[in-house]
Amino acid sequence: MNIIEVQNVTKKYSNHLALDNISLAIRKGIVYGLLGPNGAGKTTLIRILNQITAPDSGMVFFNGNPLSRKDIEKIGYLPEERGLYKKMKVGEEAMYLARLKGLSKNEALERLKYWFIKFEIQNWWNKKVEELSKGMQQKLQFITTVVHRPDFLILDEPFSGLDPINTNLIRQELLELKRQGTTIIISTHNMASVEEICDEICLINKAHKILEGNLVEIKQQFKENIYSLTLDSEREIPMLSEIYNVMETSSSENRRHYVVKVLEGGSANQLLQHVMNYGNILSFNEILPSMNDIFIQQVEKYNSELKMDNKSR
Amino acid sequence: MNNTLLIISREYLTRVKKKSFIILTLVVPILFAALMVVPVLLATKGREHVNVMVVDDNDIYINNFTDDAKTSFSYRSGDIEQIKKEALAGDYDVVLYFPRSSQKVNANLYYTEEPSMYLRSELESQINSLFFDYVLQDSFNIDLDKYNTIKDLSRSQITMIQIDENGVEKESMAELNKTIGMICGFVIYFFIFLFAGQVLRGVLEEKNNRIVEVLISSVKPIELLLGKIVGIALVGLTQFLIWIVFTLVILTAVQFAMPDKFMEMSGVDTEQIMESVKDSQLIETVNTSKMAAGDTFDTGNIFAEISSYFPISFTEMILCFLFYFLTGYLVYSALFAAVGSAADNETDSNQLTMPITMPLLLTIVMVMPIADNPNGQLAFWLSIIPLTSPVAMLTRLPSGVPLWELLLSMVLMLLFFVFVVWFAAKIYRTGILMYGKKVSWKEIWKWVRYQ
Repeated sequence: MNIIEVQNVTKKYSNHLALDNISLAIRKGIVYGLLGPNGAGKTTLIRILNQITAPDSGMVFFNGNPLSRKDIEKIGYLPEERGLYKKMKVGEEAMYLARLKGLSKNEALERLKYWFIKFEIQNWWNKKVEELSKGMQQKLQFITTVVHRPDFLILDEPFSGLDPINTNLIRQELLELKRQGTTIIISTHNMASVEEICDEICLINKAHKILEGNLVEIKQQFKENIYSLTLDSEREIPMLSEIYNVMETSSSENRRHYVVKVLEGGSANQLLQHVMNYGNILSFNEILPSMNDIFIQQVEKYNSELKMDNKSR
Repeated sequence: MNNTLLIISREYLTRVKKKSFIILTLVVPILFAALMVVPVLLATKGREHVNVMVVDDNDIYINNFTDDAKTSFSYRSGDIEQIKKEALAGDYDVVLYFPRSSQKVNANLYYTEEPSMYLRSELESQINSLFFDYVLQDSFNIDLDKYNTIKDLSRSQITMIQIDENGVEKESMAELNKTIGMICGFVIYFFIFLFAGQVLRGVLEEKNNRIVEVLISSVKPIELLLGKIVGIALVGLTQFLIWIVFTLVILTAVQFAMPDKFMEMSGVDTEQIMESVKDSQLIETVNTSKMAAGDTFDTGNIFAEISSYFPISFTEMILCFLFYFLTGYLVYSALFAAVGSAADNETDSNQLTMPITMPLLLTIVMVMPIADNPNGQLAFWLSIIPLTSPVAMLTRLPSGVPLWELLLSMVLMLLFFVFVVWFAAKIYRTGILMYGKKVSWKEIWKWVRYQ
């Protein structure tokens, strides 16, 4: 079951195309990474999901029905540019934002209490927001994003500006929310965090979707049959570089380390059979491409194709 | 709707709880009251009994000055230096000396403690009239009694009577109307700007600290816009209410504390009214009201009395003020909000608000001409055009405005308000999401035409 389905959405601003016929689907209960370079159209897509702006054409479905104002209470949004009223008291501000999401006074108070105790920030309640440090404000902002228990969370760069301890805290909370069934969409440039928590990703570049799918499957799809192996001997292996593409070698303390690419038609087993004659294999791993590599590679590929296209026209 | 109420209450409460609001709300009535009380106290303070020693080397004024309750005159002749010394050391407060000269109206006034302003003008007017009589007799040989008879007979009086559309005649006080009109015009101008400016700053604040994106993921931009505008309007109305109540309370308290002084003030006021009206019938009514007021001074009666000379009642005036304040504020605050949403900071916004504030500034410059000729072409058109009508109409109102003009102006104002909110909302919802871009009016026009 998909919580969000985006169908053929196009959004044009006066002088440029922000989204060109984008379609995507987000399954319930997963963490979905929305990736793409700056200006790719991620923010526009997020704003459409939040109903801040409407698409020029195309449809968005929420739980199978066209997205409407009443769904707002089921969506939580943490924008990239964080903002709070600086002059308000922490408690008042949290109550205000919670109630704007449709919580009653009592509900809001009860749930905020839970979060304030959980984050150990009860004594901030009567402080002014401007007295808090930046990290503290981020915590407060996170609480106001999730306090109404949204089914669907939209987080734009949730880890930017957080110290490692708070990053970890927020990550744990996100995984906890996911366990409870919340669907989370994360827009980020931080590829390490994508690999850590995303189940599926979508890569957008220049208003187009250029890649979508399960994170593990995508990595498999883009794997280049590269393996790292370590032998207990520093002896040269004859013929290795003739048959395989040896990308890296290094040796230390009677060990030799290789990064080897198996060319078309070859296999990992053949490689193993070949090298096992020259020493004991201490380790053998497949090296999958990092999201970072895939991101850069795919975006560059798309851009150069686009250039070629334009030239040939 | 629920969300709009939440926004209204936040906008209202955060402002009302601010220290600056509380201070301003408390200080202004005190200033108002002080403005009314202090001149009275100052005026009464200097009016103690004054003994004047007159020395006239020309022998014109000797024994001719008239004593009154606060001034008595004595006369001596001789060496001024010696008289001066003796008189000021003795029972006399001032010495009025006319040196021998061809300019027989000129005099010196010697004193050790500065006398009140009233004494000087009192002396000057007595000297003028005494000298006038002297010249009549001495140079033209005219009999004073005959002259005074003729003078009394030939005193023209013009009573201003305005006829309204029902044919009812009413005596008007053009000067007072003009002044009140100008004050009303300035006051409404000031308040429209004060509170519409708060809307502008509020929009800029939300945009600058980026909370606006969180907000409009929860509420519609129009709800946010209306919530802010209505919330601040309520702040304004609260402030008015407190000001009015507090000023009355303070004035009443002061009156109770010093009843004598205010009897005098009411006397002065009535005299002024009598003078400006110069109508025997009016003087009679005012006199009766003064008597009816009796020993304790009654503000209400005087107000009622004054208001009976206006073509428009106080209640109507206050209702019109509230109507034009509210609609004027709504129109300007919606426009300011639109501009605030398009700007990134206050400097940019000032540039963009210029074309909007021009009509209002223009009307303020025109307040004097409008008050001078409240039924002229200029006054008529400015009080019909929505952007200028709050100030222009308020300036005209005390002098009387035909009902159809008032209704036309109000209807146009309401229609314009609906249009402006629609227009401003279109700019606002696009503007609040635009960052780091200096926006031109051309660009804003594009936003209006977006779907």
